[in-house]
Amino acid sequence: MSIAKYQLSSIQALYGSTLGVDVDELTITAGGLHVLVGANGSGKSTLLGILAFLNRPSHGKMSFDGVPVNWEPKECTLLRRRVTLLHQNPYMFSGTVAANVSFGLMARGFSKESAQSVVKESLERVGLTGFESRKAKQLSGGESRRVALARALACKTDVLLLDEPMANVDRATADLLESLLASLAAGGMTIVMSSHDELLGAKLGAKVIHLEDGKLSRTPGPSPSSEFPHSTGRDNANS
Amino acid sequence: MALGLILSGDREVFSAVWTSLDVALWSVVFASVVGVPVGIAVALGKFPMKGAVRVFLNSLMAMPTVVVGLLVYGFISRQGPLGFLGLLFTPKAIIIGLTILATPVVANYTLVAIQGADERILPTALTLGASKLQSLFQLIREVRFGIIASIIAGFGRVISEVGVAMMLGGNIRFYTRTITTAIALQTSNGEFAFGLALGVILMAISLAVNVFLTVAQESHRA
Repeated sequence: MSIAKYQLSSIQALYGSTLGVDVDELTITAGGLHVLVGANGSGKSTLLGILAFLNRPSHGKMSFDGVPVNWEPKECTLLRRRVTLLHQNPYMFSGTVAANVSFGLMARGFSKESAQSVVKESLERVGLTGFESRKAKQLSGGESRRVALARALACKTDVLLLDEPMANVDRATADLLESLLASLAAGGMTIVMSSHDELLGAKLGAKVIHLEDGKLSRTPGPSPSSEFPHSTGRDNANS
Repeated sequence: MALGLILSGDREVFSAVWTSLDVALWSVVFASVVGVPVGIAVALGKFPMKGAVRVFLNSLMAMPTVVVGLLVYGFISRQGPLGFLGLLFTPKAIIIGLTILATPVVANYTLVAIQGADERILPTALTLGASKLQSLFQLIREVRFGIIASIIAGFGRVISEVGVAMMLGGNIRFYTRTITTAIALQTSNGEFAFGLALGVILMAISLAVNVFLTVAQESHRA
């Protein structure tokens, strides 16, 4: 039996003046890898923003770990400490790589000393051992992405959301990402990533969620879909 | 001769320099305390008439100094509502006037710095678990040189100001005489060398402030 991490019901979100996301029912189970697949403008980033508690939907209900989300500012701050979103073009704060990677830890009240070991471990996981004192703004694009991933991993959240992590990365980085995400998912982390690539879900053994014009559509491929009953309105959180 | 006045440590020259720095620094401190939060609030806030507020702030930047001097004079002169405080023709009066002049400058440049910041800063900080306040501090940290530049622009506005200092300070020797009011007076009295000496010092102060800002920005980029 799968436990629902997220349950979305009649979620609508505006992107500018147009409806960016219009999801009847969607359940994302706890643990494992989920891939949001869709073309440009299909609503992937908007949906990730909602799952990251960054964007409040204009309509609908969402629950996280079975608890309804009220979208109160304080509640959102607490929820955001359990979820991290890695943006497609991550921003590097000014300062060192170590300062960037420890940012989430400092926000959570960690001391510099206690954050150090986590920073080291996170950089090791992304293959950037010894990068602590490098200036973050002077890194290459690929290195910046890895540092951003290390920064997200350092937060040790329940959920990791990634917006197009495989876009414009070299083969080595893609391989590292694939193996890292697989090991994180195997360790029980809930991972939701967006991609244009229809085959990525199958390649990673992930659950695939298809988005088209902001709406869920049926999975055409062999990968098992995340549980969503489309227009039936049936709640299958425990399917 | 001008250089001689500077090098000899002429008391009148250094009194004017000290008074100028004193009133300019205090007014910039007060203008920053008000202007930086106002600039941030207008840049990030969502409220009705935001465009009108921005236009108003812009307009205040061009406020004629004598008008500010006149208004403050009306308030703090003996017959004014704050006349009992005895502020007229004191350095405090100049500070009040200069603060009013510098605040819109600091607020506007801060607003521009915040609006020009990378739009990914706030969402990145938020998604890493920072509270709204922590994210705001991170945003300020990222644009700190823009904010410092706004404060320095405010300083530039007040260090070279003459109308407010003259009207509210009264150009009293060894008390409220600033570099600019001294230049105006001495030049009109035919003391050109004295005025030139003060002009050199004023230029040196402006140059030093700009060098400081440039060095700080370059070291940040390195």
